Amino acid sequence: MSMVELTFLMLSGVAVFSALLAVSTTQVVHAALWLVLTLGAIAGCYLLIGAEFIAWVQVLIYIGAVVVLLLFALMLTRAPTGPDSATTTSNRNVAAAVSVLVAGGLAAIMVSGFAGERLAPPRGGVGSAASIGDAIFGTWVLPFEILSLVLLAALVGAIVLTRRGPERDNGAPGDVPERAQH
Amino acid sequence: MSPQDGPRQVVVGLGAGASGFSADGRGYERGGGGPGSDLATTDMVLNVGPQHPATHGVLRLRMTLDGERIVHCEPVVGYMHRGVEKLFEVRDYRQIIVLANRHDWLSAFSSELGVVLAVERMLGMQVPERATWTRMLLAELNRVLNHLMFLGSYPLEVGAITPIFYAFRERETIQEVMEEVSGGRMHYMFNRVGGLKEDVPAGWTGRVCDAVAAVRRRLPQIEDLIFGNEIFQARTRGVGVLPVDVAHAFGVSGPIARASGVDLDLRRDEPYLAYEELLADGVLQVVTRTEGDCYARFACLLAQVKVSLDLADACLERLTEMAQGPINVRLPKIVKAPEGSTYAWTENPLGINGYWLVSRGEKTPWRLKLRSASFNNIAALPHVLEGCVVADMVAILGSMFFVVGDIDK
Amino acid sequence: MNGLFGTESWWVVIAKAVLIFLILVIYTLFNIWFERRVVAKMQHRIGPNVHGPFGLLQSLADGVKLALKEDIVPTAADKVVYVLAPILATIPAFMAWAVIPFGPEVRIPFTDTVTPLQLTDLPVGVLYILAVTSIGIYGIVLAGWSSGSTYALLGGMRSSAQMISYEVAMGLAFVSVFMYAGSMSTADIVAAQAEDMWFALPLLPSFVIYLIAMVGETNRAPFDLPEAEGELVGGFHTEYSSLKFALFFLAEYVNMVTVSALATTLFLGGWRAPWPISLWDGANSGYWPVLWFLGKTLIFIFVFVWLRGTLPRMRYDQFMKFGWKVLIPAALLWTMAVAVVRRIRLDGGMDQQTVLIVGGIAVTLLLVIAFIPERKQPADDEEPAETDAFAGGYPVPPMPGHQETRPDA
Repeated sequence: MSMVELTFLMLSGVAVFSALLAVSTTQVVHAALWLVLTLGAIAGCYLLIGAEFIAWVQVLIYIGAVVVLLLFALMLTRAPTGPDSATTTSNRNVAAAVSVLVAGGLAAIMVSGFAGERLAPPRGGVGSAASIGDAIFGTWVLPFEILSLVLLAALVGAIVLTRRGPERDNGAPGDVPERAQH
Repeated sequence: MSPQDGPRQVVVGLGAGASGFSADGRGYERGGGGPGSDLATTDMVLNVGPQHPATHGVLRLRMTLDGERIVHCEPVVGYMHRGVEKLFEVRDYRQIIVLANRHDWLSAFSSELGVVLAVERMLGMQVPERATWTRMLLAELNRVLNHLMFLGSYPLEVGAITPIFYAFRERETIQEVMEEVSGGRMHYMFNRVGGLKEDVPAGWTGRVCDAVAAVRRRLPQIEDLIFGNEIFQARTRGVGVLPVDVAHAFGVSGPIARASGVDLDLRRDEPYLAYEELLADGVLQVVTRTEGDCYARFACLLAQVKVSLDLADACLERLTEMAQGPINVRLPKIVKAPEGSTYAWTENPLGINGYWLVSRGEKTPWRLKLRSASFNNIAALPHVLEGCVVADMVAILGSMFFVVGDIDK
Repeated sequence: MNGLFGTESWWVVIAKAVLIFLILVIYTLFNIWFERRVVAKMQHRIGPNVHGPFGLLQSLADGVKLALKEDIVPTAADKVVYVLAPILATIPAFMAWAVIPFGPEVRIPFTDTVTPLQLTDLPVGVLYILAVTSIGIYGIVLAGWSSGSTYALLGGMRSSAQMISYEVAMGLAFVSVFMYAGSMSTADIVAAQAEDMWFALPLLPSFVIYLIAMVGETNRAPFDLPEAEGELVGGFHTEYSSLKFALFFLAEYVNMVTVSALATTLFLGGWRAPWPISLWDGANSGYWPVLWFLGKTLIFIFVFVWLRGTLPRMRYDQFMKFGWKVLIPAALLWTMAVAVVRRIRLDGGMDQQTVLIVGGIAVTLLLVIAFIPERKQPADDEEPAETDAFAGGYPVPPMPGHQETRPDA
């Protein structure tokens, strides 16, 4: 077993372990922190296959922005310091079953697709900024643009949902839009 | 807070004396869906103070918040109450002056002036002219000291750390001459019934002249440093507007009221000492603004410093021209104000300061009611703060220029 | 990219890592002293001048004192996260320095080993710095949350929102540098500036945007909202003491140096000597460049200190509005413009004049958009309710919003 494989095993172990903790812990903020560890371990896996660009983007976007926003939203809406009963619902058994099924399905696809195949990590190939850029803005430009549209729609939707009625908008002097404060 | 103000209320603490985390460890909720609306926020009660850096002193504000917005604010006063009015009743007229200069520690001279004016009026006493003009000079210097304090501390409240050092340099310049004449740097105790404690030292007026000139020369530095700053303007313009009717309703006075357009200055409207002459000379200008926001209040303060410096110069001019003479009236061993009552009010740096003196012919007053400027000024605070965001709270509180001792008495 | 990276012997790598750590810690101690001395100079003070030559050892003494203080963990705190937070804040601050180039290849004294003065280089070096510093936000968010205090929580939330917002503008400012240098590696960007010119000149808007964003990113004045003393006492580190607080302090100053070093590397030619010195042949070889590099970094530190000494603090919503509504759109537009110009120049089309005209129109449009005042919400005027001032048989002043039925009665 080579050093790379050993590291991969360790990283994936950390990822799986912390992912399990993220969904099973009763403390919401701790769950977010376990999620950080999972995402970090996955970034490490990217590094192992030489995809530096993707690895650091993963850290920057998922760890540095998405989970921070998640934490931010948690603290803004409720900041329980102790275990929160709302996080343990009665649906947890169903959720567990569904997630096991999904994991099994994904594993089956991977095994049937790539079993026994050895993919040599291309040196400076898939992971470099240039090749990613070429792929996104060349081959996959249409899905990329559609994705950005989807995100835009989501943004607009979020604004519509959080928007208060016009009677609330006519605020007092020194009015601050509700969203600008967050 | 009455229960009908909101469906649920959660008390959150900022500062001591506030309840915060509940025992079950659930903490508190912020925002979230209250009944009635999709995104109704739970009203939150926020205690600022009595120990909080923004309240410089022990003022406590009990604010009800809807998100970031202040829906209700209640100043809780009295943490520093000493019962000064009761203390007045068991001190003779000389001792009262000591107490009177302590409630507003930034305008000690002006406060003690009010007491002696009241007693002198009751006694029907004629004060020597030299004393009158020296009193006026010292009162104006005291006003400059007071205003410089706020000119320095207010920028500090909004985050500019440098202007206070410039303000204190000027304060130091003036405090030196005040110290030379009275021996005190805050509580001067220089007024006596019938005049001043003693004549000014030789050459003192020249040194005051230099000090006033130095302060006038360097004052634009403070102005340049903060007054035109875009961030400062953004934080103060249109923020914390005190409407003129609210100012009238609460008896707000002083620079805060004049910034809202209340054109009232006792030095002009009910002159005491010799302000009448200075008014006739055109030296005494009453600074007013109409905006009533934090910026106008700050601008008022700055303009008043300049006027006060001019007044001090005019006083000095008169004093140097004046022939030598007594600066006080010899008093009998026991001063007894005759039966009756009088109300003496003066334009203190922070606003109208009045003493209602009721005497029954004894050596102590039967009643001495104190009307302090900060108490009335701070009473208008709920009206100014309501509807503002929490971030403006500090800027508004700082611009109300109060001294907690003057509120709590 | 230099071929030496990744092939160096282990002791060289460890030596360089230890050296960077030492330089950073010492530079931090120096910067704290520097800041205090410069701010003191701006405020007519002397600043620390007792311990060591020019008071240079003052920060060391403060650090030792801080470390020996009692370590307090609040009862309401989440213990594990509370301890983890300062560590999370500090480590990323140091990690960012792995890819900062200090100088060219040098021979290590007393050996034959030649090594570049940079721990390692990555093809996506700048992205690595962005990613690593974004982890530092966790230190602040978690410190605020785990302290179990409202002040700390609000401070932590403010700073997380702030850092995320300004990271976007910061990243956008980098994009045009990447386009000019054709690489994301720090060493390559320095090399590209040696061939061309310092990117601060052709990419001035990027440079300005970066300068603003870097102040926002490091939570320094005038964007030091998370630690607004007046409002939030100490912000996220209110509850921290002793060594944990020292770690936050260290992280803040290291971050300040990191963004300054990044600005130097990306916009001011990195370690390469500035113009008058660059005429000397040996300026860009040996260990001299370390000096130029630290000197240029110190200029940025001075700017940080200068801002802190001069400006008041912005309000939270003004600051966010500025970030999202001015800085990011401006950065986006500028990035688009750079991309278009680069493309045109690579295609060999369009002369200089056309480029200038188009650029001028774009900048003017931007300015016009920026200065269009925001639509004001119409204020709802309510009819003032009428009250009879003499209703109770005793005259009372009208309350705000009320109108006397008998004016001048």
